Amino acid sequence: MRFLMMQKPTDTAPDEKLFAEMAAFVEELTAAGVLLATGGLESGGIRMSSQGDEITVTDGPFAEAKEAAAGFALIEVGSKEEAIELGRRFRKIVGDGESTIQQVFG
Amino acid sequence: MPDSARPDVRRTIEAVWKLESARIVGGLARLVHDVGLAEELAQDALVAALEQWPAAGVPDNPGAWLTTVARRRAVDHIRRAQTATAQTATAQTAAAGTLALEEEQDDVLRLLFVCCHPALERDARIALTLRLVAGLANAEIARAFLVDEPRVARRIAAAKQILAAEGAGFTRPGTASTAGRLSSVLEVLYLIFNEGYSATAGEDLIRADLCREALRLGRMLAELVPGEAEVHGLVALMELQASRAAARIGPTGELVLLHEQNRGRWDRLLIRRGFAALLRARETSSPPGPYVLQAAIAVCHAQAPTAEATDWHRIAKLYDALVRLLPTPVVQLNRAVAIGMAYGPEFGLTEADALQSIPALRDYYLLPAVRGDLLSRLGRPAAARREFERALLLTQNRAEQEFLHRRATEMAGQNKSPAAADAAAAVDAEAAATAETLGEAAAAFLAKGGLDPATLRSYRQTFTRLRRALGDSLLIDELTADVVATVCTTAWGSAAPRTWNRHRATIRSFGVWCGRPEIATELIRRAEKASPPGGGLPAAGLSGADLTAPWADSRHPLRERVFWLLLHESAAPVSTVLALNVEDLDLDDRRARVGGRWVTWRAATARLVPDLIAGRASGPLFLTARRPAPDAPADRCPHTGRARLSYERAEYLFKRATGHTLKQLRTAAR
Repeated sequence: MRFLMMQKPTDTAPDEKLFAEMAAFVEELTAAGVLLATGGLESGGIRMSSQGDEITVTDGPFAEAKEAAAGFALIEVGSKEEAIELGRRFRKIVGDGESTIQQVFG
Repeated sequence: MPDSARPDVRRTIEAVWKLESARIVGGLARLVHDVGLAEELAQDALVAALEQWPAAGVPDNPGAWLTTVARRRAVDHIRRAQTATAQTATAQTAAAGTLALEEEQDDVLRLLFVCCHPALERDARIALTLRLVAGLANAEIARAFLVDEPRVARRIAAAKQILAAEGAGFTRPGTASTAGRLSSVLEVLYLIFNEGYSATAGEDLIRADLCREALRLGRMLAELVPGEAEVHGLVALMELQASRAAARIGPTGELVLLHEQNRGRWDRLLIRRGFAALLRARETSSPPGPYVLQAAIAVCHAQAPTAEATDWHRIAKLYDALVRLLPTPVVQLNRAVAIGMAYGPEFGLTEADALQSIPALRDYYLLPAVRGDLLSRLGRPAAARREFERALLLTQNRAEQEFLHRRATEMAGQNKSPAAADAAAAVDAEAAATAETLGEAAAAFLAKGGLDPATLRSYRQTFTRLRRALGDSLLIDELTADVVATVCTTAWGSAAPRTWNRHRATIRSFGVWCGRPEIATELIRRAEKASPPGGGLPAAGLSGADLTAPWADSRHPLRERVFWLLLHESAAPVSTVLALNVEDLDLDDRRARVGGRWVTWRAATARLVPDLIAGRASGPLFLTARRPAPDAPADRCPHTGRARLSYERAEYLFKRATGHTLKQLRTAAR
């Protein structure tokens, strides 16, 4: 099963220490053979919506930036519990904040 | 696991175990020098978790918790077992805290090497790897390989015993054998992958999960030994094959061939990972090995936007290179397919036809399936249909059976439609309307009556082989002496003269019965040696068919075959045969003097003994992989330093191979 782990942005700017820890975490996931892809996401980005024939393109930043994702990891594991266990390790590294784990179908 | 554990905690424990077991067991094995014991200690920790976590809650760092508890047990064990200062020192350092990442990774690598020890059989290596490295439970392994759980448990227990007996301990193989061991690890991973890949939609998901486990272990291994091109090659191959997993099963569970797959359903992420892994293999600048070449072939398919755009010339060239390194029948068959695609079906058919006399491909369904495909492309639907039907008889896989049935039916349809039939097909069709087929004739022949049960059984064996090799719908009129001779030589060419003559006699009387006596003309009668008085199996002490010449089965190691054969032919006591030294052997007179008596043997043993001696001039004839005790110089091979095979070990190996005791074999020989 594949799971997408997404990290929401925090108020505090990430420091050197966090970057180093994140790199170690990514290395560990790679060595464990479960990490398929990972990356950071620009804040805001571009928002698109459509209504009838009309498509609206809006550049960020947006007011509700907290709800967006700041980074992701796509992992392949055998069960939801394994994904949660990996999420637990991740949360320990990044400190206070919030992330989501969603199963990827197809 | 105890029922007291709440399901969610239990599942968390299972998840932690899967992620951590290799590291935990590997670390323990380094302490106690025995993987079997290491695994038991780790299991103790797992049981402790199951008892404590439901009440106390899941600890902050569950992996570390399990490691600490397991280590504590290991230290207790070492203290109990040994009071030697060195061991206590080990115990203290062991208990002391965390390990560097490199050390942990080294443990995992060594664990993989031990699980794929050459003393273990293939199935044992697979089971042990899945259990100790991938952290699967016996029940999961049993479900994945469609066997029952006690059998897996027995297999794993036996494997641990063998490792202990071989003194495998937990040492990393020397540099000389590392390469060989690594290829054994790669083989095991690829076997696990393929077991999962061949699972069909209707089956237990755990089977398909084997692909994920193999990929996980492969990616893990690639980080452990980043300089090994073949490891990256295998990972690339698995990623690329896995990328097609969804597209190769159709909506009703049927198998979809590569060139018919919807390429939009291929997993681009895995394809990209496959490309990346192959690039890493190339960066090592080693000459391409078998896995790298197979991955390169998979890349050719992945790069083609449509089936028609596939670069078959390049694939055929890669197969040319692969067949030189890995001249297995299956690779040769794939090469024939590639040549058929690159240069035309007639060239492919020539290659495929040349493979028909290879015994290993005798019952391999893909050979007739490939020939069927090539024949259909050459516009010979009747012959193609026959091949698809033959293939159908040879596979047990439901999806593949359905696919072959579909192809056979298509061919039958083409046969009837005059528009689709060219000259060759028309001839085929016309003949089909009037003449009798091999299947019908064989059934009628067997049903003709007047045959006693033993003869009937013997006749059936002959026909089963003929029908499998030629297909039920082959017309009797098309049966030629050449074809019959090829089938018989492939099937029984190396069998005893008596067996050969028995099948020959069946075919002769069948030929006469159906008015085609000439079909047996190429089968030459073979001289039968007079059997030794009272000799031959089965005999007293053996329960008949259970033990038919185990030494004739070339899947057994040479040492075992020579040993059994020598026991059988000489009827000498087991301990006498084990005591034989190379310098005692008189190869010309087929005898040896040992312990005041002569041991003599016959032609079959004499044929194999030189291979076993392999240039040695003295020392024990039958060796183990172990070194002997220092006080037993007579049991030490001066060439290799290895020890004489023991009675216990010899008995164990024979029992495992045949279910009988050596004494029974020896009594039978008299």
